[in-house]
Amino acid sequence: MASQSLPIIHFDHATFGFPGVIALEDISLEIQSGEFVGVIGPNGSGKTTLCRAVLGLMAPLKGGHLRIFDCACDELRCHHRAKIGYLPQKGVVDRNFPVTVLETVMMGRYGALGLFKQPSGRDHKIALDALAHVGMEGHRDSALGHLSGGQQQRVFIARALAQQPQVLLLDEPTTGLDITTQHNVVELVQHLHEELGLTVLLITHDINMIRSRVDRLVLLKTRLYAAGPPADVLKPEILSQVYGKDLVITERDTIIVEDYHHHHH
Amino acid sequence: MLELFTYDFMQRSLLAAALVGALCSTIGVFVVLRGLAFVGAGTAHAAFAGVALGFLMGWPPLLMAMLFGLATVWITGWVEEKGRMKLDVSIGILYTATMALAILFIGLMKTYNAEVYGYLFGSVLAVTSEELRTIAGLSIVVIGSILLFSKELYFIAFDQEMAEASGIPARRIFFLLLTLVALTVVVSLKTVGAILVFAMILIPASTAYQLTHSLSTLTWYSILIGVSCSVGGVLLSSIWDIPSGPAIVLLATLLFFVAVLFSPKRQRRSLAVT
Repeated sequence: MASQSLPIIHFDHATFGFPGVIALEDISLEIQSGEFVGVIGPNGSGKTTLCRAVLGLMAPLKGGHLRIFDCACDELRCHHRAKIGYLPQKGVVDRNFPVTVLETVMMGRYGALGLFKQPSGRDHKIALDALAHVGMEGHRDSALGHLSGGQQQRVFIARALAQQPQVLLLDEPTTGLDITTQHNVVELVQHLHEELGLTVLLITHDINMIRSRVDRLVLLKTRLYAAGPPADVLKPEILSQVYGKDLVITERDTIIVEDYHHHHH
Repeated sequence: MLELFTYDFMQRSLLAAALVGALCSTIGVFVVLRGLAFVGAGTAHAAFAGVALGFLMGWPPLLMAMLFGLATVWITGWVEEKGRMKLDVSIGILYTATMALAILFIGLMKTYNAEVYGYLFGSVLAVTSEELRTIAGLSIVVIGSILLFSKELYFIAFDQEMAEASGIPARRIFFLLLTLVALTVVVSLKTVGAILVFAMILIPASTAYQLTHSLSTLTWYSILIGVSCSVGGVLLSSIWDIPSGPAIVLLATLLFFVAVLFSPKRQRRSLAVT
């Protein structure tokens, strides 16, 4: 992590939303190339807005700035966007769409290819490599809708990898998966971060799942409450500001937030 | 029966039917997958209002159909993008308003005009050489655009926001799709008519949807079904002396129910239940 280099994503007093409805307020945050950053916060805290902003789908309101790859986010060109591999929230995509696994992953090549160009043998190979990275190469001709939730998440991660991105942006990748599959998906993301040197932005409810894996945590609730190494962010006095009385920290240091608690024995 | 093929009018209608069948079933894949089925219906009725106005004022009916069709899809797309109104509400209003206009224009005509009804119900056996050239020209434009932008069209049909996020100019591609839907409707007016063109866009792709899980296979099946039903329908209509539009659409509908019965997806589901 070369902290002296330019940040790959740079929020500078950026506010997002519509006049009267502020989703994120006065965010200043730098994300360096090669970092693994977890974004946490309660429902409606602006996590998905942060995601849309990084994708260049939302520009900051007057006064603030957001730069991605040293480019103002509202001037993001298509080839910039292709450098961000994005895994949307489960349920956003119609999982019964008539599409095979390989066809899904090939879509990851489309943005990078640009208009008027058809995928070549090289793109095909990139897509197959991406499938191999997530351990799904044996399912290339399966129907996407026939796979389990965890397998579908892997395919969507492969789709993001096929873009050959610099940044991997994951919006609640473990929601709706069983606990073992959740661990497998987060482990896969960590593995890809280490093996491919990807900058990872992982948005999640599940603090315990990622606290030991990320370089930094960003705690949001409309405003940015804290950003730093997990040990500095996950302090009761900081967390209680955001989660209030919904927060329970067990003797074994497991953080439980009402509504999202899992069964720890 | 073979002597049918020696007639000029028959060759023209078969060619027109094949072109329209191919065109509707190709664009239909994207209409069905992107969930724009109702837009197709609305556009067809708007285009018919254009035809009626054309006949009333003595302006070229197909040109007027195109203007009305394009205006409808662009307004629909704009409303969806702004999120001001649910898509089915906005298209429902445009659909009925343009139909009211069509009835008004026909009512204002001093005499009964059988040709107008040809555009409403379709009369492929009456297609002239000039109309065939227009159909062929517009077909090349639409199919060419689909080929050129196929990967982007598939991607926005899958998920428009994900497509945009990964560097596809998704909004422009969406408006291109809407434009192609309008052009397809206009091309098909004379052949299957304003009421039934929607079926030709919807049914072949929906039939293919029952049979495969692959996007590319789905597209080829849809085209195959669209062309066979159009050509088969025209042949049936001339053999049995029945109107061509209903013959095409009912043949396609029959095939759809057969596909539903034998769908591997359906069998999979029933296996899962037992």
